[in-house]
Amino acid sequence: MKSHISIRDVNAFYNGHQALKNITVEIPQKKITAIIGPSGCGKSTLLKCFNRLIDLTDGASVSGKIIVDGIDILNGSIDVTAVRRKMGLLPQKPNPLPMSIYDNIAYGPRLHGKPDKNELDRIVEKYLKIAGLWDEVKDRLKSPASKLSIGQQQRLCLARGLAVEPEIILCDEPTSALDPVSSQHIEQGLLKLKNDYTIVIVTHNIHQAMRLADYVIHLYLGELVEHGPANDVFENPKEERTRAYINGTILTDLKIDKEVDLKGNPCPYNFVLAKQALHELSKGKVLKLVVDDPLAVTEVPRGMEADGNEVLSVKQINKTDWEIVIQKTE
Amino acid sequence: MDKLREEKLWKFLMIVSLAIVVGSLFMVISVIVWNGMPALSLSMITQTPKGGYYLGKEGGILNAIVGSLYLAFGSVILALIISLPAALALQKDYIGKTRLAYYIRLSLDVLWGTPSIVYGAFGFIIMLYFGMRASLLGGIIVLTILQLPIMIRSMEEVIKLVPNELKEASYTLGATRFETTSGVVVRQALPGILSAVILAFGRGIGDAASVLFTAGYTDSLPRSLFDPVASLPLAVFFQLGTPFPEVQQRAYASALILLIIVLALSIASRYLSRKFAKNIIR
Repeated sequence: MKSHISIRDVNAFYNGHQALKNITVEIPQKKITAIIGPSGCGKSTLLKCFNRLIDLTDGASVSGKIIVDGIDILNGSIDVTAVRRKMGLLPQKPNPLPMSIYDNIAYGPRLHGKPDKNELDRIVEKYLKIAGLWDEVKDRLKSPASKLSIGQQQRLCLARGLAVEPEIILCDEPTSALDPVSSQHIEQGLLKLKNDYTIVIVTHNIHQAMRLADYVIHLYLGELVEHGPANDVFENPKEERTRAYINGTILTDLKIDKEVDLKGNPCPYNFVLAKQALHELSKGKVLKLVVDDPLAVTEVPRGMEADGNEVLSVKQINKTDWEIVIQKTE
Repeated sequence: MDKLREEKLWKFLMIVSLAIVVGSLFMVISVIVWNGMPALSLSMITQTPKGGYYLGKEGGILNAIVGSLYLAFGSVILALIISLPAALALQKDYIGKTRLAYYIRLSLDVLWGTPSIVYGAFGFIIMLYFGMRASLLGGIIVLTILQLPIMIRSMEEVIKLVPNELKEASYTLGATRFETTSGVVVRQALPGILSAVILAFGRGIGDAASVLFTAGYTDSLPRSLFDPVASLPLAVFFQLGTPFPEVQQRAYASALILLIIVLALSIASRYLSRKFAKNIIR
C-alpha cells in the first residue's frame, strides 16, 4: 500500500490544551481512510492540519511533520495556497459562496488560471456531473447557490472542491447535517471518487466508516489508539478501547455515580426529576438516566446541555428504553 | 395571569415608542410640506437667486441644490475609497485583533461623536494655513473627514458578520487573503456596505456647520473645484433668518427639496440592496 500523507510526531495545542499527542501514521494513496473516535478526540484538528486551516484558528499551534509528495506541509516557509489547492475540503455544514451555482464551481479555477468561457463551461459541467448534481441544476446555473437544498449544497461543495483538481479530498463529518438520502448521495460519490483521489473522512458514525473505509485510524482524547486496514480494525481490533468504541460501549471505563430510572414519567416531569438528581451530585460526577418517553430522548439531553452539562451518550438499550449519560460540569 | 399582564405592558410600551417615532417623523414632514409646498415652484429648482431674492424677489436655489449634490457625492466617493480598505483591514484576518485596531476603533468612535462645527473650524484653520479660500474642494474634504468614522464603523460591523465558514471555503480552494476578501467578504457584505454609504451620504448632505467656513456660500453655480459653493442646509439657514415671510417659506421649500433628495437616494439604495442581496448566504 503506497502512502500519500505521512504524519510524523504531530502535536497540536489550543491555548495550551493538547489536542493531538504524538501522532505518527501513514495515510494510503487512492483509498478511503476513515478517522474515527468520539467528539473532541482530535479528529477534526488532524484534518485541519492537513490543509493548514488550523493556521486560522486563534491560539492554535502545531509541531511535527506532515509530508505530502515529499514536501513537509507544516513547514512555515511553503506556499499555503498551493497546499490547500491540493486538498479539497468537504465541511460539516455545506458552505456555498455568496454567488451563483456556476460561479461557485468557477471560483477555484478562476483563482488559479485564466480559463476562457468555454473552458469554464466545460469544467462546471464536468464536476457537477461527477458530484451527481448536473441534472438537477443544469437549467438554473445562474441562480443563487443558497437557493439549493442542503443536500444539493453539499454536493455543490464537493464539485467546487474537485474543480481545483486536488489530489486529496478531506471530509469533516460531511453527512452529519444531511438527511439519509442526501447522505447516501455523498457516500456514493465518495466511493466513485476513490479510484482517482486519496480520501480522508472524519466521522463519528461507525456504520459510515464501515461502509466506506479501506483504512481506519482510531483517535481517542488526542492519542492514536489503533490504525490498520478496515477489515482488521473492525473485525479484530487489537486494542480494547477500539473494540469498546466499535461496540458503542466506549463508556465502560466511565464510573457511573448515580443511576435514575425515569421510566413511566412523561415530559416535563422526567426532566425535572433528572435535574434534581443532577443537582444532588457534585461537579464532574456522572449520572445515568433510563427513559422510555420518546420526547425525553431528544429533549432531556438538549435541556441538560443548555444548562451547561455535558451529555456523554444517548443510546437505545431495548425496544422502548433509552439510556442517557450526563456529566455534571456546571 | 401575571405573565399575561406583563406581556400586555410590554406590548403597550412598544406601541407607545413606535407611535412617538412615527408621530414625530410625520410632524416634521408635515410642517415642512405645509410651509414649503406653496413656495415650491419650477423656478425654485431651475434658477439661481436673482438680485433681491432674499427680499422676496425672483429666483431659485439651484445654486444650493447643485452645490449640495456636488459636495455630498464628491465626499461620499472620496470617503468610500478610503473607508472600504480601512474597514477591511480591521477584520480579524488582518489587524483586527491588535492593539492598534483597538485604538483606531476608539478614535473613530470619538470622531463619530464630535460635533460637525469642530470639523468646520478644523478645516478652516487648515485652509488658512495653506492660503486657500472657501471652496468646493475644501467642503468635500471636510465632509469626507466627517463621514469617515460613520462609514468605516458601520462597514466594519457588517463585515464582521460575514460567516467564518465562507472565508474558510475560499481559503480551502487555495485563495489568498486578498482574494478571499475581495471575492467573498465584500460580496457577502455588499448590501450592508451600501447602507453604510447611504448613512454617510445623509449625514454629509444634511450638515450645515462643517461647510459654513469651508465651502462658503454663493449665489452662482461653481465652475471649478476652487470656487465657493452653496449648500441646501445653509440655504435653509439663511432664508429662515430673513424677516420676510415669503423668503421664510422658501426655506421650508429648500428643506423639502433636501428631504426629497435623501428619500430618492434611500429608495434607490433599497432597490440596489435587494439586487445585491440575491446571492448572499443567510
